[in-house]
Amino acid sequence: MYRYDEFDAAFVAGRTSQFADQVKRRLSGELSEDQFRPLRLMNGLYLQLHAYMLRIAVPYGTLSSKQMRKFAHIARTYDRGYGHFTTRQNIQFNWPKLKDIPVILEELASVEMHAIQTSGNCIRNVTADHFAGAAADEIIDPRPIAEILRQWSSLHPEFSYLPRKFKIAVTGAPNDRAAIRFHDIGLQAATNAAGDIGWEVWVGGGLGRTPMIGKLINSFVPNEHLLAYLESIMRVYNRYGRRDNKYKARIKILVHEEGLETIKGQVEAEFAEVRGGVLTLPAEEVDRITAYFAPPQFKAQPATKIDVAYQSIIDPAYGRWLDHNINSHREPGYASVTVSLKPVGGAPGDATDKQMDDIADIAERYAFDELRVTHEQNLVLPHVAIADLRAVYDALVATGLAEGNNGLITDMICCPGLDFCALANARSIPIAQEISKKFAEPKRQAEIGDLKIKISGCINACGHHHVGHIGILGVEKKGGELYQITLGGDATEHASVGKIIGPGFEADAVPGAIETLVDTYIAKRESADESFIAAYRRLGEAPFKEALYGNA
Amino acid sequence: MAMPKLAPVPAAHDKLRALGILALNGMFDEMDAVGVLRQAASEILAGDLAVVSSFGADSAVLLHLVAQVDPSLPVYFLETGKHFRETLDYVETLKKHLGLINVHALHPNSEDVKRFDPNGDLWETDPDSCCHIRKTEPLEPVTEQYGGWVTGRKRFQTKERGVLPHFELTSDDRIKVNPLAYFSDADVNQYKIDHGLPEHPLFAKGYKSIGCAPCTSVVAEGEDPRAGRWRGLNKKECGIHFDFNGAIAKPMTAATKHNLWKDGAFIADPFHEWAEGDDPASVSYKHVPLAVFLANRDAVLANPHPLGLLIVPGDRIEDAQADLGRFASIAIKFPAFTDGRGYSVSRLLAERYGYANEIRAVGDVLQDQIPLMRRCGFNAFVVTHEPTRQALIENRLPEVALFYQPAGLTEIPAGTRPFLRRAH
Repeated sequence: MYRYDEFDAAFVAGRTSQFADQVKRRLSGELSEDQFRPLRLMNGLYLQLHAYMLRIAVPYGTLSSKQMRKFAHIARTYDRGYGHFTTRQNIQFNWPKLKDIPVILEELASVEMHAIQTSGNCIRNVTADHFAGAAADEIIDPRPIAEILRQWSSLHPEFSYLPRKFKIAVTGAPNDRAAIRFHDIGLQAATNAAGDIGWEVWVGGGLGRTPMIGKLINSFVPNEHLLAYLESIMRVYNRYGRRDNKYKARIKILVHEEGLETIKGQVEAEFAEVRGGVLTLPAEEVDRITAYFAPPQFKAQPATKIDVAYQSIIDPAYGRWLDHNINSHREPGYASVTVSLKPVGGAPGDATDKQMDDIADIAERYAFDELRVTHEQNLVLPHVAIADLRAVYDALVATGLAEGNNGLITDMICCPGLDFCALANARSIPIAQEISKKFAEPKRQAEIGDLKIKISGCINACGHHHVGHIGILGVEKKGGELYQITLGGDATEHASVGKIIGPGFEADAVPGAIETLVDTYIAKRESADESFIAAYRRLGEAPFKEALYGNA
Repeated sequence: MAMPKLAPVPAAHDKLRALGILALNGMFDEMDAVGVLRQAASEILAGDLAVVSSFGADSAVLLHLVAQVDPSLPVYFLETGKHFRETLDYVETLKKHLGLINVHALHPNSEDVKRFDPNGDLWETDPDSCCHIRKTEPLEPVTEQYGGWVTGRKRFQTKERGVLPHFELTSDDRIKVNPLAYFSDADVNQYKIDHGLPEHPLFAKGYKSIGCAPCTSVVAEGEDPRAGRWRGLNKKECGIHFDFNGAIAKPMTAATKHNLWKDGAFIADPFHEWAEGDDPASVSYKHVPLAVFLANRDAVLANPHPLGLLIVPGDRIEDAQADLGRFASIAIKFPAFTDGRGYSVSRLLAERYGYANEIRAVGDVLQDQIPLMRRCGFNAFVVTHEPTRQALIENRLPEVALFYQPAGLTEIPAGTRPFLRRAH
């Protein structure tokens, strides 16, 4: 893991005291809310429906047990005993008091964490594949580049007042688990003809009210020129991105309206000016940062083979967990474990202070002290010896985090919705809870197989509904809440945006509608191996539409 | 003490004109203070030159030069009535030690004092006016009698004096002679030691620049030597020095609020706002909007007056790239602080086009944005937001002083990321 040196520590301390001063000026009335807003936003502080909300960055989703324990401590001391893990690999606290924020930030700084640029119209926390450094299919660990991007983008003097927020995601594997095609900039590791590893650069993706799939603007940028190339994109966006309408201010609209070729021409012209300049990234620096992410000292493990079928008979819950929550590791004898934050009937992504402490203990004991936050609002123990899986499972059972539903219908992404969020038009957590209860039966979930349901409480799409195999969007209609259903979204390398299937449903009719869609899929699939999304792509929307609304 | 009645000598001016102030400044070695003073006293301004001295911490050096060149050169001392007792004693000490025979004290007009400072506390409520009645006013009738003045100002003293030459032509055609312009703090001290000059009694107590007692404080190690003057106030000069270089015509008074922050102080802004209907061919000291410039390029380029260029969000600075050198100042407008386009424009100006004159931010300029603006190349700010003005005056801008990424031209400080630590 990356470790702060004196410079990083001093930087965060400087920022913390700077913001403490700004909070003081706000409390004294010297700053108006209008003047304070962009400052607090750049420090991750939102004003929500009921209270301030503090969003803390988990850089590229990687954290240590010490850092997780700090979250537990903050939840216990300054909040209401829980935290909420987000789709951007961050954590949010929903009830801090403004006067406590400087102290919370000091606490965070003591474990090398901060809330810098987790909101506001700046470059946000860079996200990455949650199996980075562990996944068997990985070309290169994306975290060193993500860390370099974190540093380059931190308090960037030119790009702190962009037209709108700006999100960058990085993956080092061909199987995209970081949704890079739905980010303002997505980076995917690529190999050129000479065998060098560099980056495909995708630009202009995003969700929100105008979902767009990112477009390939450059098929190979070597490490050396990556910062210069990204600064070129940022400068074009800062100068020419729309500022007349906040709903049209993201780079995806600029790319869409001007056309990829125009933007590419501007970026290349800018790149020609800055290429080879001060932003040139020396190989030694990449090596220096990479050294921080050296794999842990794996021990040669005895060939352990778990008979999942047998385990499923003697302990079905454990069998399900093995079936769904284990990801193959590049090191023989090891696996990555997904810790589900989607218990049946719970609020997706929430964890209590006790659970955070417990999982920190598990990570320390069994997983080389490392944890990950996923953009699907789960946690990951990236490096667990297969021989320890049972012990890890038992420990997770003890703290109520052993749900074996990763990737299944109850593993939903869900935004906070009208229960917390000032922007929302409709509740989303209760919808997720009702669907979760409807499909609580584990056997049924397994039978349905991989199915991603994503729920947003408004068109800002924090719940990623556009890329749900089944997406649910809460809208306000005539004073009531109505839910639109979309089908066919996909956040991976096979990116697609879901299509609205028909008129919306009342809240209490949503679980039934989902059941109808699921039943239709099961009836029409070619075999149990054909996933929902594959079946939908083969069949088209017609059979699903007919099942929901009858024959037109 | 009677004032010497000397008639101005017009010939001196003509001579200077013929010589040219630039040539004059090139004639002397930087450290040849005696040569400068001798040339002024015997050639350029013979019989038309006087000295103003504060009899402060460093005054002995200049007065020692005077004694060497001509002990009868008139020396004026502003007896403001607010001096330290030690300063008044020091006047007598130096007179005796150096053999100066023509020292005069200038007192404020007693009517003025009665009227404007009946309680003697004007220095507290309105220091600018206090300086005005005690220094500027008494000196004015005397300055009119001479074609030139010798001062002890030095470049190192404050940022405002960083470009001080040996000879300056003032806006009313007089000559300021600054023999010590190139002396450093160390040079001054060494000179005092080499010539065994008596020290101002307060110098040893930490006073580096000594004026009137109420407005002078001790200067900390490493601080600007004049930091002890008018400490805590937005004030760097008393007014008597403001008339030089021809840039600032009137002494600063409390009634004038300057909005231009540059080089560490609010200063008078020579520029005026562009108005609808202004003629680009004949305006002076205005920022011509880019669109107007592009439509009237020839007229603007032929305009003989100092001009600036105004860039509003959305303007393409590239369009004026070839003509940037024409402008003494480029103003980048921030209609709202949330509109960050100007940051990119400033970096292009400073870094790509090598524009080295003033880049000023105008509009919604707030304290939290100024540090970022500076990093992007801005070097002047027009600030009207009151808390921001205070923050600037008190030098407490909310800034994270460590940078992860390079921006600007000079910014590769120690402590940046190792891979950015490179020589340019």
